[in-house]
Amino acid sequence: MSTGSSVEKPPRRVAIKGASLRLGEGEEALEGSRCPDCGDTFYPPRTVCLSCYHEGLDRVALSRSGTLHTFTIARLALPGAFVKAPYVIAQVQLPEGVIVPTVLDDVDTESVRIGMELELVIEKAMSDAEGNDVMAFKFRPLKGGAG
Amino acid sequence: MSSRVVVLGVGLHPFGRHPDKSIGEMARVAGLAALKDAGVEYKDVQAGFCAHVNQGVAAGLRTFGQLGMTGIPITNIELACASSSRAAMLAADAIANGLYDVAMVIGVEKMERGLLEGVGGKEFGYNDAMGINLMPAIYAMWAQRHMHLYGTKPEHFAKVSEKAHRNGALNPNAQYQKVISLEDVLASRMIADPLTLYECSPTTDGASAVILASEAAARKHTNAPVFLDTWVGGTPEYHRGEAAQAEGPNAVLAQRAYEAAGLAPEDVDVCQVHDAFSPGEVFLAEELGFCPEGEGGPFVWEGNTEIDGRIPINTDGGLLSRGHPIGATGGAMIAELTTQLRGQAGQRQVSDAKTALLHNAGIGGVNVMVLKR
Repeated sequence: MSTGSSVEKPPRRVAIKGASLRLGEGEEALEGSRCPDCGDTFYPPRTVCLSCYHEGLDRVALSRSGTLHTFTIARLALPGAFVKAPYVIAQVQLPEGVIVPTVLDDVDTESVRIGMELELVIEKAMSDAEGNDVMAFKFRPLKGGAG
Repeated sequence: MSSRVVVLGVGLHPFGRHPDKSIGEMARVAGLAALKDAGVEYKDVQAGFCAHVNQGVAAGLRTFGQLGMTGIPITNIELACASSSRAAMLAADAIANGLYDVAMVIGVEKMERGLLEGVGGKEFGYNDAMGINLMPAIYAMWAQRHMHLYGTKPEHFAKVSEKAHRNGALNPNAQYQKVISLEDVLASRMIADPLTLYECSPTTDGASAVILASEAAARKHTNAPVFLDTWVGGTPEYHRGEAAQAEGPNAVLAQRAYEAAGLAPEDVDVCQVHDAFSPGEVFLAEELGFCPEGEGGPFVWEGNTEIDGRIPINTDGGLLSRGHPIGATGGAMIAELTTQLRGQAGQRQVSDAKTALLHNAGIGGVNVMVLKR
């Protein structure tokens, strides 16, 4: 709890466990890894390249937009989940070739189509015990994108 | 390999809801049935393999111990929904290489009602927060992709479940022995489009037991052995830029099994596939080579996988109707195919079945087997 005498500091932003995010001002993005030898790219990031077995990959920001590879409309909520049914579980294909499991935001469930263009949204999911903002991500239809 | 391997005995504890029974009780029923079926005594069993997923420490001793305490090595095996077929593969490897004459696999599981927890353990993270760890969603997303690429229809998937329940109604060990119409499958509660409730396998309590023997040992007990002819296992292969499409490389493993067994897909008389969710049978009809890629939906819809069809699949009701006690499922698949090859399947018998194919998949690996008589 803050008191009147203490200085208000903005809460620190941390990525939710199981998501790899860059949260710096102006550079919000999914963070993957890229092989310096063969160029293959991965999300979530990994240490050993699956294509050439090079060890020690570079951390890279991934593209903020992609296309819908496949999806389903979940009609029941899982215990503890923040999303309310119905919601769209999706796999998003990024230009780097990686496929990211996520959910769609700000979308009419009945209008979802494979191939539609999507963009990344990073937003607060909850606060943790230390008062940090725990950040998660979704994708939403690209504004002005081909439906 | 020094010896051919025979499926000498199979046994089941009926699949269903058995909240008052321990895994030991269920394993004892399945195990005694398998011993009787094989015509051997427990003291003849030289090694035990206990397949389970969530039954805790020393489940092997708590199950095999119900049959006797003969001091044999007992090993616990976990490969998610493919645990007991993998246990049978390890037993078969040992027998083929001359380590044992007789080995026994017990698969067992007690499950809670409701949704399975996804992979990843207890720590609450992104997939939990976003509701992504929804098992039906995995198959539903593959199904959506299949519909997009090939024009497969929700009715094609639903047909798998209608057929499964019609077969399950003929199986006294099935969890659901009730015919469900196609309309009722489609009208049941939507879980994850296009999958409805009746297109999702249930949670189940049950046990399976399989006794494997060297050909020499088996010949003392039977003149008409059913051979476990070929077995191959695998895990997903990474291919740059491609999405993971299954629990493992199904088509690659099937091809390897066909080559090792000297078979082509059209030689298979009866088949078991992993229909944890209804699209499984549609995908596997293609991946196992029974129909061309993309044509699995119409292939199932037109009745090719019926008991009297071109390639009967899941004659005992499959996971959808027989039930899916995850650690016990692979053993139940072996039991059904063995029963079919012996001509003992009663109302669900495939006429003159000589060659059988088994596909059992889990998150973490796939097993393919060929059985012959």
